[in-house]
Amino acid sequence: MSRTPSPLPGAGWTAQGPNDGSSTPNGLYTGTNLYSSNEDQWAAAKARSAQVRGYPSIQTKNEGFFQRSRRKISSTLPIFSPYTPLSANWKDPEKLGRSRWYPRGGGTLSKVKTFAGNVLRKFKFLFIILSVVTLTTVIMSQMSVMTRIRGNSHLGGGSKFVIVLGANEGGGVMEWKGPREWAIERDSIKNKQRYADRWGYQLEVTDMSTKKRYAHEWRESWEKVDLVRNAMARYPKAEWYDRFWWLDLTTFIMEPSISLQSHIFNDLANTVYRDINVYNPLNITHPPETKFLDPVARSATGDNQTSSIDIIIPQDCGGFNLGSFFLRRSPFTDRLLDMWWDPVLYEQKHMEWEHKEQDALEHLYSSQPYMRTHFAFIDQRKINSFPPGACAVEPKEGQPVEEGKTVLDPRFHYKEEDRDFLVNMAGCEWGRDCWGEMYMYRELSNKLNRSLWEKFKDSCSETWASVKRKVTWSKKG
Amino acid sequence: MHFALPPRKTSHPPPYARGNISVSATNRRRKQLQILSYAVLGLLTFYLFLKLALHSSSVGDHEDGPSKIEGHQDIVLVTVFDNETMSEDYMKMVKVNRDDYAARHGYQNFYTNTTAYANLVHPSPSSWAMVPALRHALTEHLSSTFFWSLSADAFITNPSLSLETHILEPLESLMLKDVPVVPPDSVIHTFSHLRPSRTHLILSQDADNLAHTSFILRNTAFTPATTDNWAHYFLDAWFDPLYRAYLFQKAENHAFEHLVQWHPTILAKLVLIEQRRFNSYNFASPPVRDQVTGETRTYDSMWQEGDLVVNLKGCRESEKRDCEEEMRHYFSKWEQEVERLDGKKPEHRVGPPKPKQQQVKEVKGKDSMGS
Repeated sequence: MSRTPSPLPGAGWTAQGPNDGSSTPNGLYTGTNLYSSNEDQWAAAKARSAQVRGYPSIQTKNEGFFQRSRRKISSTLPIFSPYTPLSANWKDPEKLGRSRWYPRGGGTLSKVKTFAGNVLRKFKFLFIILSVVTLTTVIMSQMSVMTRIRGNSHLGGGSKFVIVLGANEGGGVMEWKGPREWAIERDSIKNKQRYADRWGYQLEVTDMSTKKRYAHEWRESWEKVDLVRNAMARYPKAEWYDRFWWLDLTTFIMEPSISLQSHIFNDLANTVYRDINVYNPLNITHPPETKFLDPVARSATGDNQTSSIDIIIPQDCGGFNLGSFFLRRSPFTDRLLDMWWDPVLYEQKHMEWEHKEQDALEHLYSSQPYMRTHFAFIDQRKINSFPPGACAVEPKEGQPVEEGKTVLDPRFHYKEEDRDFLVNMAGCEWGRDCWGEMYMYRELSNKLNRSLWEKFKDSCSETWASVKRKVTWSKKG
Repeated sequence: MHFALPPRKTSHPPPYARGNISVSATNRRRKQLQILSYAVLGLLTFYLFLKLALHSSSVGDHEDGPSKIEGHQDIVLVTVFDNETMSEDYMKMVKVNRDDYAARHGYQNFYTNTTAYANLVHPSPSSWAMVPALRHALTEHLSSTFFWSLSADAFITNPSLSLETHILEPLESLMLKDVPVVPPDSVIHTFSHLRPSRTHLILSQDADNLAHTSFILRNTAFTPATTDNWAHYFLDAWFDPLYRAYLFQKAENHAFEHLVQWHPTILAKLVLIEQRRFNSYNFASPPVRDQVTGETRTYDSMWQEGDLVVNLKGCRESEKRDCEEEMRHYFSKWEQEVERLDGKKPEHRVGPPKPKQQQVKEVKGKDSMGS
């Protein structure tokens, strides 16, 4: 064992002669080296006694190169701080406590700083939680996370729905659109867009002005079928777009806070009816009387399973109404859309069929038993309420009619108290005021769907106005 | 270095004993974290693999499925007689022939008559009755898988051939892909990516039309879960009252051709095979010269020894032909064939040719022998 007994291994303690002092890397000891011979004796004695006392100098662990020579290395490093102990500049720090101590000197600003720091430190968990909450809220509101959650096929299932809106009706080459037509279109699209955004649905605004494209064929303004088919192609199955909701342009969603799922599809078996005899304005014989048909076709309600419902349509006073109806992607729907427009049918009937696709669909329903097995009907006012102008009712003999009011049929007409879901201003282009109706229902919808605060404000202003009126009346009186 | 004694414990315990513990604690925590992260990574990988596997398998299901129609099938032969134009003996011959064929291969027969559907078909031609008749057969045999609609003027001449081995199993090699679906030159072609498993309608063309006198329709066996049936769709569409009112020149045959050419949902399920597979005629189609291209097209329709079916198509429309006499010719051939197969003649109660028709028959017989 030949470990150097010097506390400073390799330093100048054992060096002979004063000249070697310069070789010590640490300049601190240059001065003390003058006494090196004296010190040397002391050091030797100390080393001896250390050996006698028998401190084990065996290292049990080989601690590695760095551990072994740490001191050596650190003592050779240059020193930059002037305040190392033993340096010439070293001073004891000033003893504190002689006067009142303030952190950072004690100015007003620093007092505030200290206070803020203390508060932050004390309530740091509160702050962390608060900031997390705020951040999430901001992100949620910015990125419309709710829409996504509602749209997700596993959580809300909204992305399964595609709203197909037939816009630009009558536009294009045939007519110029006036400001009212533009306003109708803008309002209608905005209404559907908001609804779709809110619930995570897809909105497909289709262009109906393409009717001229079919001028070389026979089919004029029969493009609903094609547009639905195009929409189905644009939202392919891989994305799980499943339900397609056709809407005419002159429709308005009155209750955007109701989702399609909760309104119809969560309880499909009870919201629709399969047997047309429940309400049968066309007097279609149902079920078919032919005795050789299969049991499903002969049953009034098909196979009684909701899984076989592929088309859901409302019926108005005159039969099927295609202003607002649902289609589901399925083999049946492919077949229906394929059959819907057939040149042989069209050629024979296009003069008679005023309602175009609607009549064609009625024909398919009444003449092909297979088609019936996938149909379901829905109460008109669930998805397709009419304004009083459509399916107008003549007051019966002796029926009291209030001044300024029209007679309403509870099967077809919109009722404010019942908060109907959607209004379809069907036939408003034939002598009624489309824009006027649209505006009226838009305002009504806004009024019905005010927030609590707005309702409170409105009721306040109303009472104030009535009080004012009374006061003025009494003054006049 | 070796030591005789283990080194002594140090007299200077490390100043912070707890430090060691905390070090080991942090180590342990680090280990735990490591294990956790490995587990998470492993789970993620597993999930991704699973997803990939599921996805590919589901895609595979849609695209492929079983490509062949294999094994014994539950087959029903559908025959629509016409009491008004067919004699008793004629119908007996056809029935004996088909009963024997069905018994041989475990099929079923469905016989019906146009009169049963008269009030449905009226006022359209009675040939339309084949469509509701087929619908009727589908209802009577809900669980059968294939329906062979064969004209009452057709006769099975080779009873040893089963439909499975003759048509259904080798269908992949028999199907004609990318050919004009209606002869001679429809712009609509049959699909080039057909699959036997997705086939619902098997038929052939003759020289002029789609030969709807003999075709095989696939049925989706009825269960509470599978209520949707392409066969119902097809038959109901075919029987649409507006098609019947349209006065197609060849009634249901032209309506059928219209359907196939205008409606991809029907074309996609259709497979064309060579005519002589199951619908040979007892006359040859003369070659036709195309006026535009100048090419000569020939149709191989003439019945030959060993063909499954002979079809006396058109024997009722022509004054010169006599269905019953033609049928008797093939009936005697068939009797010999059965005797060869079973070692005995088939039992039947078909009477000898009526003397009233004898005169006519002999003249016609000489004609046909001579030709």
